[in-house]
Amino acid sequence: MTRAYVDDLSVERLAALQEQNLELSRLVAELRNEAALRTQFLSNISHDLRTPLTAIITHGEILRDGILGELTGRQRESVSGIIGGGRQLLDMIGEILTYARGAANQLTLSRSDFTVEAVLEQVCTLNESLVAKKGHALSVTVEPEIPPLYGDREKIVHVLGNLLGNAIDFTAPGGKVWIRASRGAPTERGHVVLIEVGDSGIGIAPEHHELVFREFAQVDATASRQHHGTGLGLAIARKFVELHDGRLWVESTLGGGSRFYFTIPVRSAS
Amino acid sequence: MPPHILLVEDNALVVGALRLLLEETGHRVSDASNVADAARAMRTDPPDLVLLDLTLGADDGLALFALVNPPLPVVVALTGHDDPETRERCLAAGCRDVRVKPIRSRELKSQIAAWLGVRTPA
Ligand SMILES: Nc1ncnc2c1ncn2[C@@H]1O[C@H](COP(=O)(O)OP(=O)(O)O)[C@@H](O)[C@H]1O
Ligand SMILES: [Mg+2]
Repeated sequence: MTRAYVDDLSVERLAALQEQNLELSRLVAELRNEAALRTQFLSNISHDLRTPLTAIITHGEILRDGILGELTGRQRESVSGIIGGGRQLLDMIGEILTYARGAANQLTLSRSDFTVEAVLEQVCTLNESLVAKKGHALSVTVEPEIPPLYGDREKIVHVLGNLLGNAIDFTAPGGKVWIRASRGAPTERGHVVLIEVGDSGIGIAPEHHELVFREFAQVDATASRQHHGTGLGLAIARKFVELHDGRLWVESTLGGGSRFYFTIPVRSAS
Repeated sequence: MPPHILLVEDNALVVGALRLLLEETGHRVSDASNVADAARAMRTDPPDLVLLDLTLGADDGLALFALVNPPLPVVVALTGHDDPETRERCLAAGCRDVRVKPIRSRELKSQIAAWLGVRTPA
């Protein structure tokens, strides 16, 4: 009699547990589905935006290159403005796509060995004209005999380019921007290189230090007006650094400039 | 005879831009906005080069390969999808090359010479 009662009880509990399990796996499936839908959506949008932009940019280039007849200097300047604007939009669309793929964990690393100097030179060359246009002083310091990095070169260039681009943009003309590379404090995973991208610009209040790494987050939409961004740059940069088992963080106060730091592990000498 | 290029693209604005660029740089251009029309065009007026968009309304551009018989002209995918899987898919289907739109006009001009050169050595 007692036994039958116990059996009844456990049968009931088992049924309840099974139901809960079902409910949980249904929820998990739903979340996965939602993430996949979001990626699909962003990827479709970025494709659809690219198509009309193709027409705009191609027509611009036909005119600029004099295929329909030579232009005057001012005409070429104007058409170049159309192309430049179009290309800037394309970059932003590319950023949305990269973000979507990152969110869906579709990003993989293709690693190789390369020197810190090489990536710094690449990034500085890419940003040369922007730095000159704003009249900033850019300095680059690399600690002697720093070990080579082992990682996805393209992604690290992307991270550096993003941090440097922000430093340039969020600093009033004639400011200071710098990059420093040094050995970081070893972690339990081994040795790391620490890279700092700093500026003497507008700075970020401490309460916004985590916010800026969030997708689509911009501290001040008005301050960012002359800055063309999606608010995805730092979210992507952090994702890329974390894929390397590194960390990316900021030290800054409002009005006191910003220093972004990230670490990249070096290959252990084994 | 100028090289004949078939544009397979469903966006009329893109067709207009590429047609202008290609015609002005010495090519003969025809176009099709879906794979069935493209396959027909390839039979009746064989092109030297096909520039193939991947998203053609409901059609997958790569379905073209199933509708035409060899020997095929050089087919190059010209797509708005900028990701490694798309690239792989195109090459596996038989595309000679894959370019993300918009391809720079100067690059397109020099590439066309290279693509055509590969197929018809002088
Ligand atoms: N060096 C910097 N100085 C001041 N603010 C910054 C700096 N870098 C980033 N921020 C703030 O963080 C926000 C997010 O940056 P980011 O993710 O790169 O997006 P975006 O550059 O597209 O706006 C910026 O809009 C800005 O408000
Ligand atoms: Mg940015």
